[in-house]
Amino acid sequence: MQLLDIRNLTVEMQTAHGIVRVLDKVNLQLTEGEIHSIVGESGSGKSLLAKAIMGFINPNWQVTADRLWWNGQDLLAMTPKQRRKITGRDMAMIFQDPNAYLDPNSTVEQQIVEAIPQGDVRGTFMRRRVDRKTRVKRLLHRVGIRDHESIMESYPFELSQGIAQKVSIAIAIAHRPRLLIADEPTTAMEPSTRLQIHRLLARLAVSQKMSVVLISQDVGSILPETKRLTLLYCGQLMETGPAHDILSEPAHPYTDSMLRMSLQTQQELPHKARLPTLPGSIPTLRHMPIGCRLGPRCPYAQKTCVKAPRATHDRQRVYHCHFPLLDSSS
Amino acid sequence: MSHLLEVRNLGKTYRSRKGWPWTPKSVAIEPLSFTLEAGEILAVMGETGSGKSTLAQIIGGVDTATSGEILLNGQKLHSNNYPQLCNNIRMIFQDSENSLNAHLNIGKQLEEPLLFNTQLTAAERQERVNLTLQRVGMLREHWEFYPHMLSSGQKQRVCIARAIILEPQIVVADEALVALDPSIRAQIINLMLDLQKDMGISYILVTHSPQIVKHIADKILILYRGKMIAFDKTDIVLEDTQQTYVQQLLHEHLKQNIQYNSDRSAKIAD
Ligand SMILES: Nc1ncnc2c1ncn2[C@@H]1O[C@H](COP(=O)(O)OP(=O)(O)OP(=O)(O)O)[C@@H](O)[C@H]1O
Ligand SMILES: Nc1ncnc2c1ncn2[C@@H]1O[C@H](COP(=O)(O)OP(=O)(O)OP(=O)(O)O)[C@@H](O)[C@H]1O
Ligand code: SF4
Ligand SMILES: [Mg+2]
Ligand SMILES: [Mg+2]
Repeated sequence: MQLLDIRNLTVEMQTAHGIVRVLDKVNLQLTEGEIHSIVGESGSGKSLLAKAIMGFINPNWQVTADRLWWNGQDLLAMTPKQRRKITGRDMAMIFQDPNAYLDPNSTVEQQIVEAIPQGDVRGTFMRRRVDRKTRVKRLLHRVGIRDHESIMESYPFELSQGIAQKVSIAIAIAHRPRLLIADEPTTAMEPSTRLQIHRLLARLAVSQKMSVVLISQDVGSILPETKRLTLLYCGQLMETGPAHDILSEPAHPYTDSMLRMSLQTQQELPHKARLPTLPGSIPTLRHMPIGCRLGPRCPYAQKTCVKAPRATHDRQRVYHCHFPLLDSSS
Repeated sequence: MSHLLEVRNLGKTYRSRKGWPWTPKSVAIEPLSFTLEAGEILAVMGETGSGKSTLAQIIGGVDTATSGEILLNGQKLHSNNYPQLCNNIRMIFQDSENSLNAHLNIGKQLEEPLLFNTQLTAAERQERVNLTLQRVGMLREHWEFYPHMLSSGQKQRVCIARAIILEPQIVVADEALVALDPSIRAQIINLMLDLQKDMGISYILVTHSPQIVKHIADKILILYRGKMIAFDKTDIVLEDTQQTYVQQLLHEHLKQNIQYNSDRSAKIAD
């Protein structure tokens, strides 16, 4: 079932140098229980897209879309109050910086208790207390924390990065959301920690029938269970579609470069060989190229690229490029 | 022949803060020994808190050991021959944003180590700064720039420029690649490899990434709770399937690969 349906989502913000499009006609479709990875380098608008879904966008910014539907309901037509209700009931997000998410002044137990919906615990005062405690324990077990006794009494600063990340997942899933958005920290997580978190998310997607949107910087390290994949660059949608198709045959030059740059995919490269990469650096908001924003760094760019490419729909895929690497007619 | 760098029984303990003289000290690194030759890349790996930064900082001269010694070209390093150390071993930190001085333009920041450590004239200093900027793929014009005018990748380049301007023999980089975007990270790795070829620099690289290690390291040193549990050539450590910890740290992640068919059009530049 189609849970989330986003068509041509555009976010514009007012800066000292005029209006800037920070998200430019982005599409995203998500069905129940599936894992969707959003990949892009810094400043590509990944966190912004997540916030737009949650409705956390600065009210002074202009948000427009042909469609922003959740479960068949139009989110843009709702009052802020209705929208908050839906977000609070159905969605949850884990932010890029777990320290900004966890409250430094309360224990893990207090924070998880707070996240458990009131209606879930019933009965006498004592009953409720015991019930809450077992629920907290169960949630901690569910995110792979076995040592619940000591973790429950800990404050966030006493936790390692991986445990803190798991605790924020436990808080996020306490109200059994249908959608979990996980914004991966950009500073290095230890590979083993990342692997654990990924396995946990994949397990939760199946056991809780929860959809997961996973945001990361490197295509090489996305979750293997990813069903669909979206690549963003500087706020523009480069390519989106079934992960398997995109990974085995990228249509967009950006997807292709991201795959070549990732050391995970470069297995047969000779030791110490130079790595393929894109030249130049990521433009700042003030200096966004016109047309296709990848233009100045794209090895396939030609004159026409100063005009924004239209969307090409190719089976289940959508991409924006004047000179795709795939022949869509074949 | 002496080694470029020889570390003998190097150890570091911390006295716990409220400790009495007789309370046991906490051990950050247990005495360890290893060697590094000219032009080699040594990767230091281990989970958080295993002592990687402590080791890097001692070699980089930012911290002091509590036991053991370090020999550079067969000569023992003391705190009183610090200038020698400073010229020959330089450090790059993870946090390029904050390790640059926001109030000084790039040219001045690069000139600083030359002022303190060499007898070069103003004209010679300027020439060296320009040459170094070029070496890291930046322009003469960047001399006038301030850090906030640069992208994170460019800032990382400036940090590398500052590390190599004294033409050191060893550069110690503590997680210097983690905060970078994939395209910039690949550019910086290429730059480091080029500098190694052109100037014969050796690197000591602290990193989490098994892929980077596999690709560029000649030798791997693995720390586990302050203890060195492996030190050998990269392919030997990679083939070591005996130690479960090494397995966990390296093999599991190197296996997890996305199959990508890369023999299609290869137009992407390097
Ligand atoms: N509150 C804000 N004020 C001004 N600009 C902002 C704000 N939030 C985001 N931006 C800009 O919008 C663009 C997209 O930001 P976003 O945080 O979504 O990037 P991202 O893809 O999440 O990057 P990263 O990988 O670094 O987290 C960036 O250029 C950023 O500078
Ligand atoms: N100033 C200090 N006083 C007391 N103990 C310290 C101090 N600095 C570091 N330590 C301890 O020394 C050990 C090694 O720390 P170090 O920072 O070298 O680890 P690391 O391997 O670099 O970890 P990470 O991957 O998190 O950077 C840790 O157990 C740490 O708690
Ligand atoms: S539209 Fe042009 S610049 Fe953009 S990705 Fe395609 S070829 Fe490259
Ligand atoms: Mg972000
Ligand atoms: Mg460290």
